[in-house]
Amino acid sequence: MNTTVNTHASAPRTAKTFRTLLRQSNIGTHLVMIVVLITIFVPVLWLIGTSFKDRLEFSTNTSAIIPNNFSLVNYEYMFTAIQNLPIYMMNSFIVAIGTTVVQVFCASLAGYAFSRLNFRFRDLIFVGILVSMFIPRSGGLMALYELMTFLHLRNSVVGLILLFGSGVPVTIFIMRQTFLSIPKEIEESALIDGANWFMVFWRIALPLAAGGIVVIATLAFIGAWSDFLTTYTLIDRDNQMTISVGIQKVLATSYETALSPRFRGQFAGEAADATMLIFAATPVVVLYALLQKWFMKGLMEGAVKL
Amino acid sequence: MAMTENQGQGGTLITQAISAIKRDREGGRTNPFGYLFIAPALILYLVFNLWPMFRGFAMAFTDYRFIAESTRWAFNGLDNFKEIFTDKVFLSGLGISLRYLTMYLPLMFVLSLFLAILISRVRVGGQFYRWVVYLPTILPIAVTLLMFRQLFNYKFGFFNNVLMGFGIMDVPNWLGDVGTALPSLMVADLWRSFGFPTLLFLIGIYNISVELYEAAAIDGASWWDQLTQITLPLLKPTFALVIALNVGVIGATESMLVLTNGGPQASTTTLGLYVYQVAFQFGDLRLGYAAAISLLVGMVSALISFISFRILRQS
Repeated sequence: MNTTVNTHASAPRTAKTFRTLLRQSNIGTHLVMIVVLITIFVPVLWLIGTSFKDRLEFSTNTSAIIPNNFSLVNYEYMFTAIQNLPIYMMNSFIVAIGTTVVQVFCASLAGYAFSRLNFRFRDLIFVGILVSMFIPRSGGLMALYELMTFLHLRNSVVGLILLFGSGVPVTIFIMRQTFLSIPKEIEESALIDGANWFMVFWRIALPLAAGGIVVIATLAFIGAWSDFLTTYTLIDRDNQMTISVGIQKVLATSYETALSPRFRGQFAGEAADATMLIFAATPVVVLYALLQKWFMKGLMEGAVKL
Repeated sequence: MAMTENQGQGGTLITQAISAIKRDREGGRTNPFGYLFIAPALILYLVFNLWPMFRGFAMAFTDYRFIAESTRWAFNGLDNFKEIFTDKVFLSGLGISLRYLTMYLPLMFVLSLFLAILISRVRVGGQFYRWVVYLPTILPIAVTLLMFRQLFNYKFGFFNNVLMGFGIMDVPNWLGDVGTALPSLMVADLWRSFGFPTLLFLIGIYNISVELYEAAAIDGASWWDQLTQITLPLLKPTFALVIALNVGVIGATESMLVLTNGGPQASTTTLGLYVYQVAFQFGDLRLGYAAAISLLVGMVSALISFISFRILRQS
């Protein structure tokens, strides 16, 4: 669209073209959109601003989004005084990365089988998995509590990895679509040359499906990192807790540790809390920013199918 | 747009499923690698996903108390359900949950539809806006909820300090008053879930033919006419989908668990929270009774989805 406008623009009519351009670029809509988005994100902006306020600034300038005096005392306090924070953070990375590995492994193998290999009941199983996804899991949390206790996987990051890794319907679906969109001639010629199916999958098909893998890896990582209710129910031991659940405990105890002499009287508990909330969300936000194209692609494709 | 490319590959899940089963009948040589390749995914799915589904259903008909091992398979017929209908907390929870749903859904429609229409109108930057709009949904739930706890804080919260900045000194105790607690929780829940409905509405709008709008514009239709005569009627199927995906707030648990734990004076004890409390906080840990309540909640939301699909997708 823009190129056609440019080629037709001749010097004497610059003013008129500029007006047309203005109209076509929907400046008004952008302005409304920006105002709406700022309103929606005021809470986050305030939280970020608050994390840079020291005690005096927080109590005198509570509602300010941009503090008058920037202070890093909350960050210093967070990184030095909160003992459990690194443990929770590490557990979150273990769970999220573990889930991602399990999901990518299971879903790409299964997606490949459902798209390329012929076997009895193949499509019945595939459809069964998809349809079962829509049945509500009433009582699922209670049943999980029983199951994980029985398997000795309650209070264990391994249990969480297996559990989150088992959410395969959507990821299998995405991988199957990915493999179906790859031409299968190369694989067929490799088979004729004597390669077995696993080698074909591993050496030829999987590298070509990198796009789909990035999509499901992003979905799996963010889902596992952000889960609350299941983790909260299954984990109550500190050394296995993830940050998404542990953050609540850290916030509840931060007032006690605030008595450590180095930081006494220097910061407000609420401002320190804000800092830790930002810390807990940072990894997923960074990942979301880096992989936005892939994530949105997976999401929109999934949504279109609904 | 990118999202319409894939439609050639065969419509919705349901139609794909049907054609897949038909293909299966045609048969063919069986490849043992197939079973090997699906085994890891299938085993995990069966153990951690399908089994809890069946077990959760069966549990609703038992008097399973977690602290008493012997009650695990103590089937008691419909006793749980008889108890439910005389359970005062359940009945008040049902009222609170339905109130929550009826406040939540219209606001969700207005917010996400408004954003979707705005985004659909821009020619440059749509991708950026889609990204921003979905950002609240990827934030860890606990982070969002605890952020709102800070915002709603009576003395040091953002909202009350802004109000006081405008000279209003008689500020509400958002999470602490019976009148404001439930709406406050709803604001938090809306904030963290409007992203996906917005994307769904956006897809719906992208799929409406531009020619319809052009023809309407030639006939002199105002933007309001275009909205009510073209956009809204053609988005009916999307409305059904958004209802089906959001009716789950009838069992909303997390926001109450983190922010109020049901208070003040049980005014935010929704069904979802009550299930959680019965199962994991109260005395015997009555998993069976909790599963029964949960099953009822699931049936109510399935019924609401079903009705909305019938009404909005068949005309």
